[in-house]
Amino acid sequence: MMVPMARDLAIDLGTANTLVYMKGRGIVLNEPSVIALNRQTGEVLATGREAWQMIGRTPGYIVAVRPLRGGAITDFEITERMIRLLLQRVGVSRFTRPKVVICVPSAITEVERRAVTDAARRAGAADANLIEQPMAAAIGADLPIDEPVGNMVIDIGGGTSETAVISLGGIVALEAVRVGSFDIDAAIQNYVRREHGIAIGERTAEEIKVAIGSADPTPDENQAEVRGRDLMTGLPKTVILTPEEVRYAIEDVVSSIVASVIRCLSKAPPELSQDFLVRGMYLVGGGGLLRGLAERIERETEVPVKMSNVPLEAVVLGAGHVIEHYEALKGMFMGARR
Amino acid sequence: MPVVVGAIVVLLALAAFFVLAARRRGHPSDDIDSFRRQIDALSPEARRQTSERMKPSDGRSTDDDGANGT
Repeated sequence: MMVPMARDLAIDLGTANTLVYMKGRGIVLNEPSVIALNRQTGEVLATGREAWQMIGRTPGYIVAVRPLRGGAITDFEITERMIRLLLQRVGVSRFTRPKVVICVPSAITEVERRAVTDAARRAGAADANLIEQPMAAAIGADLPIDEPVGNMVIDIGGGTSETAVISLGGIVALEAVRVGSFDIDAAIQNYVRREHGIAIGERTAEEIKVAIGSADPTPDENQAEVRGRDLMTGLPKTVILTPEEVRYAIEDVVSSIVASVIRCLSKAPPELSQDFLVRGMYLVGGGGLLRGLAERIERETEVPVKMSNVPLEAVVLGAGHVIEHYEALKGMFMGARR
Repeated sequence: MPVVVGAIVVLLALAAFFVLAARRRGHPSDDIDSFRRQIDALSPEARRQTSERMKPSDGRSTDDDGANGT
């Protein structure tokens, strides 16, 4: 297999998925942010999709983990190893050290910022800069952020939900909560455990969310058969879950996301607020694919909500655009002069 | 002779000082140019090329893994 020459890269280091954009080529990698390790030797056994398939199905000596939670690095060493492997897979070596732009949640702390840039530099990047996810999402979703008009983007990821108002290339108002689609999965897991007395894994909870989960009632609703382990007997058991039950289970998480959107709207200057009524708000991120969520936000805010054409790729495409126009757009990096 | 050398050194030092001071202060038009370049780079025309790279390339994994959060 021919290993490509390393070019500058944009990385969407998400809690759920990692996407890599290579300058001049486009998206070259899109995989779950999971790494499988040998617990005894610390050796990396698998990353990405292969490691994701191992979650909850490994023998005692293997552990499949997501090194990011809530958009932040929870295990610096493992994250660094994951980034190193990702960069190797797209052709980075000690002789081809690219510039890297990494998308991070805007609410990231100074310590977390340093952890991400250090991890990228140690993994082989010549220079690592950070860009806020909502800004990258707005660029990638093709919103007219070069104009003096109010653009609102809602980015619902695996561990964070961020809403930003952007005008003339800068963030005007921002609201972020460390709640995302993984919290929806966890809420489903807890509900099934509490109400039906069976334990299910995080992958099963995610499958339930995708199959029958919704934030608002939808026209075609079906029940789902859920298989897990009976907490009393320890035996496999099947229960039926209804869409109403799932909505009830995830209500707290959904309300928290909707409340953060409302807070962001209330922070926006009045001149830009009126633009939202005409232009609407744009939903991006995997969490935004939850059925009925756009309708729910629209109902509670009375502002039209539109789904981006590229909800899963918007963030990395935006960061990719920054890498393509590095000199002109380097003022958009976190910590750069605005 | 030492006086001439000393004068040259002082002149060079002063010149270097003024050049550095001018650079640090920056020219207002530099800021305007930089902002204009940023806005131009965010225009729909500039972004069209990046959007077109959405087409899957050789190394891109396209399988659906079921993990739909980001």
